[in-house]
Amino acid sequence: MSEPTTGSTEAAAGAERDFLKVSDLYAGYGQARVLQGLDFSVARGEVCAILGPNGAGKTTTLRALCGMVRGRGSVTLNGTELLGRSPEQAARLGVAHVPEGRGTFNDLTVEENLRIGAHLRTGPRRRGRTERAAVVADLERIYDYFPKLRQRSRQAAGSLSGGEQQMLAVGRALMLRPSLLLLDEPSLGLAPLVTRELFEIVRAVNEEERTTVVVVEQNAQLALDIAHRAHVLEAGRLVLSGPAGQIREDGQVAEVYLGVSVLSRKAG
Amino acid sequence: MSTITASLGTDRVRWLRPTLTVLVAAAVAVGAPFYFAPFQVFQLTMVLVYAVALSGLNLLTGFGGQISLGHGAFFAAGAYTAAVMLDRYDTSHLATLPAAAAGCFLLGLGFGVPALRLRGLYLALVTLSFAVFLPPLLKRLEPVTGGSMGLTVNKMQPPAWSGLAEDQWMYFVVLAVTAVALLLARNLLRSRVGRALLAVRDNESAAEVMGVRLSLHKTLAFAWSAMFAGVAGCLYTWVIGFVSPDSFSFVLSITLLAGLVVGGLGSLYGPLLGAAFVMYVPSVSQDVSEAAPGVVFGLLIITVMFVAPTGLAGLPGRVLGAVARRPPRTTAALDRMPEAESAPDAEPESQALSGPSETHTPADPAVVDAEPVGAPPRTEKE
Repeated sequence: MSEPTTGSTEAAAGAERDFLKVSDLYAGYGQARVLQGLDFSVARGEVCAILGPNGAGKTTTLRALCGMVRGRGSVTLNGTELLGRSPEQAARLGVAHVPEGRGTFNDLTVEENLRIGAHLRTGPRRRGRTERAAVVADLERIYDYFPKLRQRSRQAAGSLSGGEQQMLAVGRALMLRPSLLLLDEPSLGLAPLVTRELFEIVRAVNEEERTTVVVVEQNAQLALDIAHRAHVLEAGRLVLSGPAGQIREDGQVAEVYLGVSVLSRKAG
Repeated sequence: MSTITASLGTDRVRWLRPTLTVLVAAAVAVGAPFYFAPFQVFQLTMVLVYAVALSGLNLLTGFGGQISLGHGAFFAAGAYTAAVMLDRYDTSHLATLPAAAAGCFLLGLGFGVPALRLRGLYLALVTLSFAVFLPPLLKRLEPVTGGSMGLTVNKMQPPAWSGLAEDQWMYFVVLAVTAVALLLARNLLRSRVGRALLAVRDNESAAEVMGVRLSLHKTLAFAWSAMFAGVAGCLYTWVIGFVSPDSFSFVLSITLLAGLVVGGLGSLYGPLLGAAFVMYVPSVSQDVSEAAPGVVFGLLIITVMFVAPTGLAGLPGRVLGAVARRPPRTTAALDRMPEAESAPDAEPESQALSGPSETHTPADPAVVDAEPVGAPPRTEKE
């Protein structure tokens, strides 16, 4: 950036760096103020982890990003304002949210769940042959990431195990071909090995598809393993931000905010 | 590759049985009017009429998860549309069908709006108000609707070439419309719109996050559903040849909902069974007790709900399930890979096993409880 570049490339570089830009974000539920002015940016193609204790506002942050919770301030994705839009409009702009507790459609089959993910891509205006073929190709791609889903493609989602449901939820979100993937506590209620597998897949997706990911996690160690940058939230404010490696090293500071955390276990 | 061929093979198996069922059903349906007496043919025709209305209600309640106690009113609107057109404007019978369908679709669209803000019992109450207020309105609009006296219209006459009696011809016309309606409902559910509808029922906020427009799909569900009820009403006018406000009291709306629940919510052929229930059970209960047919009707509903909580349509599955001890909707048993077969499965199957079999030890629940925390053995096999 110190090079004498033209203004436009500099602006482009800035746009890449501020692919998702959150500034002065306040949000809450009714009387309860949860977020107290957040500022952070996520570069395109980056995995960003949001860590913090219970009730810090991690989930609320994600919900504000995808329109499930109203907020004040500004959230731009690739320069487009996201605040004030409904979840459905945010999805149209390429934001795919994997909600806490998965939110799979339990009466639908695995494949139907995945097809719901492609709902927007098969709309009346875009119902081209090529798009339909692309959706089928994407189904295969998801099944390649999650072979277990292929085996169970005709089973009701409600009959899957917790780990499989979480994989389905991630796969469904990917069917949207999102530019921003929001993952809310993907490890919740899953066996450690399953969680690790899931995180590896998220890493692979990020590397292969260049999908920008924001992941909220209690399990700081796992999240820091795949994240490029991390932010630590405490009572609705950012208390620590930096490259994931640095946050991990900075064990002492992190311990204050993450409690006697998994971070120390890593050291031990 | 082997996966693909395997799934193709099972696809054929999966298609064979429904095709046979449909063929047998079609043969029975076509043969019936030649076997039964005219009055029985009339009753069968009415079963088909109710089946159309119930399949519409099924779209809304069974698949959309919204309760309507106002479908008798949509039914009435369709019936009166047909009757007024036949009586005042002397149109052909067939012309009344698209008019009733379109009119009720629009009416449903209008009623879909409160459905956006209200849910469950509150929505049921609003729709009930429609059902309650329509009959008095029909009485008031005497110049058009004939008031309390109702309207008598000409019945459809069988064309000479068919050589059929009036009741038989009527039966076949209604059968054709019903077949088209049921097929339409089925295809609607398998389409993108249907999937979205089911997703909204299962998990509203997750569906919205996936880009499903809640308002559009909820309103459309109401409109489609009302359209089916309107078509059924139109058929009613064709079959009965007479409409009056008292035929469409709010009791009709409740009967329709009860019939659907008894037949099987969210099942494709539940509406047919429910329609048979609505048609025959009142007359059967009249035979059992002339003094209080309503009591017998009510008791029968309770019995059905007790024996088959998922409705009559779910009964065979429940019986089979109890016999085979397998979880519902695992049609995947056939196309499962061998390695998947050997892998121990998640909760549902262990639940299915935990019936009367001796493998169910007191320690079992603890194991199931501990599962999410992640017993290593299970995850290793995964």
